[in-house]
Amino acid sequence: MIENRPWLTLVSHLSLLFGIALVALPVWVALVASTHPTEAFGSGQIPLWFGDQLSENWGQVLFSSAGNGIDVPVWLMMLNSLIMALGITIGKIAISIISAYAIVFFRFPLRGLAFWVIFITLMLPVEVRIVPTYEVVANLELLNSYSGLVLPLIASATATFLFRQCFMTVPGELVEAARIDGAGPIRFFFDILLPLSRTNIAALFVIMFIYGWNQYLWPLIVTTDDAYYTLVMSIKRMLSVEQGDVQWNQVMVTTLLAMLPPVAVVVGMQKLFVKGLVDAEK
Amino acid sequence: MSVAFPQRRLPYLLLLPQLVITFVFFLWPAEQAIEQAFYQEDAFGLSREFVGLENFYALWDNPQYFTSIQVTMVFSFSVALLGMGLALWFAVMADRVIRGKLAYQTLLIWPYAVTPALAGVLWWILFDPSMGPVALWLKTIGVDWNHFLNGDQAMILVVISATWKQISYNFLFFLAGLQAIPRSLIEAAAIDGAGPFKRFWTIVFPLLSPTSFFLLVVNLVYAFFDTFGVIDATTQGGPGVSTATMVYKVFNDGFIGLDLGGSAAQSVVLMLLVGAMTVVQFKYIERKVQY
Amino acid sequence: MSDVVLKNLGKTYPNGYQAIPGVDLTIEEGEFIVLVGPSGCGKSTLLRMVAGLESITQGELSIKGSRVNEKEPAERDIAMVFQNYALYPHMTVAVNMAYGLKNRGVPKDEIATKVNGVATMLGLNELLERKPKQLSGGQRQRVAMGRAMVRDPKVFLFDEPLSNLDAKLRVQMRVEIRELQRKLGTTTLYVTHDQVEAMTLADRLVVLNKGKAEQIGSPMALYEKPATTFVATFIGSPAMNLVPAHAGHGELCLAPALRLFNPYEYEGSVLLGIRPEHIQLCSEAEADLSMHVRAVESLGAETLIHGILVADEQHQTPIVVRLAGIHYPEIGGRLWLQLPNQHWHLFDQTSQQRVN
Repeated sequence: MIENRPWLTLVSHLSLLFGIALVALPVWVALVASTHPTEAFGSGQIPLWFGDQLSENWGQVLFSSAGNGIDVPVWLMMLNSLIMALGITIGKIAISIISAYAIVFFRFPLRGLAFWVIFITLMLPVEVRIVPTYEVVANLELLNSYSGLVLPLIASATATFLFRQCFMTVPGELVEAARIDGAGPIRFFFDILLPLSRTNIAALFVIMFIYGWNQYLWPLIVTTDDAYYTLVMSIKRMLSVEQGDVQWNQVMVTTLLAMLPPVAVVVGMQKLFVKGLVDAEK
Repeated sequence: MSVAFPQRRLPYLLLLPQLVITFVFFLWPAEQAIEQAFYQEDAFGLSREFVGLENFYALWDNPQYFTSIQVTMVFSFSVALLGMGLALWFAVMADRVIRGKLAYQTLLIWPYAVTPALAGVLWWILFDPSMGPVALWLKTIGVDWNHFLNGDQAMILVVISATWKQISYNFLFFLAGLQAIPRSLIEAAAIDGAGPFKRFWTIVFPLLSPTSFFLLVVNLVYAFFDTFGVIDATTQGGPGVSTATMVYKVFNDGFIGLDLGGSAAQSVVLMLLVGAMTVVQFKYIERKVQY
Repeated sequence: MSDVVLKNLGKTYPNGYQAIPGVDLTIEEGEFIVLVGPSGCGKSTLLRMVAGLESITQGELSIKGSRVNEKEPAERDIAMVFQNYALYPHMTVAVNMAYGLKNRGVPKDEIATKVNGVATMLGLNELLERKPKQLSGGQRQRVAMGRAMVRDPKVFLFDEPLSNLDAKLRVQMRVEIRELQRKLGTTTLYVTHDQVEAMTLADRLVVLNKGKAEQIGSPMALYEKPATTFVATFIGSPAMNLVPAHAGHGELCLAPALRLFNPYEYEGSVLLGIRPEHIQLCSEAEADLSMHVRAVESLGAETLIHGILVADEQHQTPIVVRLAGIHYPEIGGRLWLQLPNQHWHLFDQTSQQRVN
């Protein structure tokens, strides 16, 4: 601190507490709402203090059925979300790391072209090419399947760029030393490059997991079978029942459960998360 | 790097998976969208006819499209500026405090993990006209809140939801930017007699401008494309078309309205837009590299 | 039997840039050869061509009698020590040293014996379980050498291995490298830009300039009879003085009024080279020429006097004199100098080649 101004410090703390309250407010209300019976939402204000239905609501939604027109329980959708999130994350990391490896550590004709083809995907977010991508997936008969959920989302220029950046900082002498030590490209990749990129991979994993888990639009259009619903998109289905019939307590439980895994990842692996976020934007 | 392995075929093999995925799920659909943009399909999807730039002219003549552009602009800039303003404030405060910095950071950044669609739902119930605590409180001070009927209020709701989630991101980058400012500069300014406010506006704020510019672009991209879920889950573009952004309209016209040609033409416009923004973003990165 | 033979070895990059026009060099078994030259002279490129890290586009390279142009680095039976050591950061010292042997399928217990043997020789036993970032610069350097030695290769290649160490450590490691090489008797090719390092280490020096070998020979041969002005100024510090002159009729004419007796038979425009340590102070009467003193560097054991040659007003030829012990010449004053002609080096002005 340059100078000591107690009132400024006080203002700082108060501002931050206000900020925390502001971001926490909706979750607080959701948490409270999830503990009340359905009737509590019929008329008048949502109760502002906890009710007594916590275990009933959470138990029912989690294990028997999510309600609001969805017959499968939340744990199943959680599993679907997990499969999709891990599929996207692992798929992205796997294909990006090897393509970045090719681009950085080899010289071959059409290298520039390959780089640009990957680069161009930055300009084609799924939201923009949604209709034709749907058709492609439909033609490949991948609707209502895990492959259909995962594959169209795993090509990632961001991850390829991140690994490219990371690989470019590997000293050339290390490659040469490995060559003299008799390590070919495959051995070099597994013995030296992968161990050196551990933190980067972990950071990217955190970011991509959140990205994958939070997919909304794509699962919404490729899944029509409850068995493949993911948690995040199920909210939309739950809210599309007749306006008066929405069971808010169940919606809130589902919402909170849908938020829980990625929030836990951010809080639990904060360091990696921040690194991943900053790296991904370089 | 100048050092390379001499193998000739291996790199192609390594690139193959990503290139295949890119071709099948990116380039092919993009090509289809571009092609589709020049055709008109009949209502049953049985035949189509080449219409040249007809679909683009139709867009140009469609007042609803201009409304969606306007909606997108209002929405995006509100989200970007509100989110950056709040985040900058919190970041400056967090940079000042010594005790509990990490705890504050943790408690401020977790909403990043909440997907926009869920953020929309969370704020919806706060603002629900019949039971939301905030909406009911607003009524007591004379504001008749009903975002199902009032377009401006619907816009405010989606802006709040979309911003809420993005504060965390901006906060982290502003905090990093603040911490990257050399201590000695601030000290020099203090010795030159500048108080904390003057220091902020004359030293800190200008030095944050690269970060701010970068965040502006990122936030606009976020508001353009990643906030589909907020709108779809809360207002579905309504009431009327008062929250139908360009991305939402692509989806709506294509999947609900089945106007494939029109939707494709809009996709092409959006691709050009993302392209331009990507170029701007990369220009920024180039500059950053020179520093 | 000669160990490593470079026959007209050259490199031209695909873009047409000729980095090495062609070098001939025959290295005897156990010889310590130093490639020296300014940065960009191609010395590292040449070393890396021998290592197999750069492709060879011309000529032939043979190690122990067999052509290795097309062989992978790992198949050439060489070991290399890099400028930045290139230790694998995630592996311990022991694993770093063992990695090359492991890749060659050497049995585990044999690897352990070899690693321990080399570690003992280099005093690394205490450090075997450490990671490179827990080591000091000198220790890393030693590990890098250990990694090369453990393989017991036919040829050691060093690429400016000491340039990242501080001055004191550099001197110490220099001595150590020389000692180890003598003990192991392994043929060595060593690249440096530091001429002191080059002189002290080499059995033979190769002075490279723009990819060409200017001169090859023992350090003293190069010091006493540099073949070109480039070698003359590159070897020795401070650099040799070069004074333009005209030779002919038994005279060396530095300026119209300044003629010296010239015992060497050559006629034409020349550069008179004389090392700073060979110039002597004298009285005005005995003087060959004189200088204006510009600056004095006193180092205790010796004094360096920088100045401008008198009698050569328009050229302002700089000259440096190196005197043993402590001297206090007056700045701006005049000193009288003698240039003993047995220490003269005469170079043709156009070809820059030695003529005496």
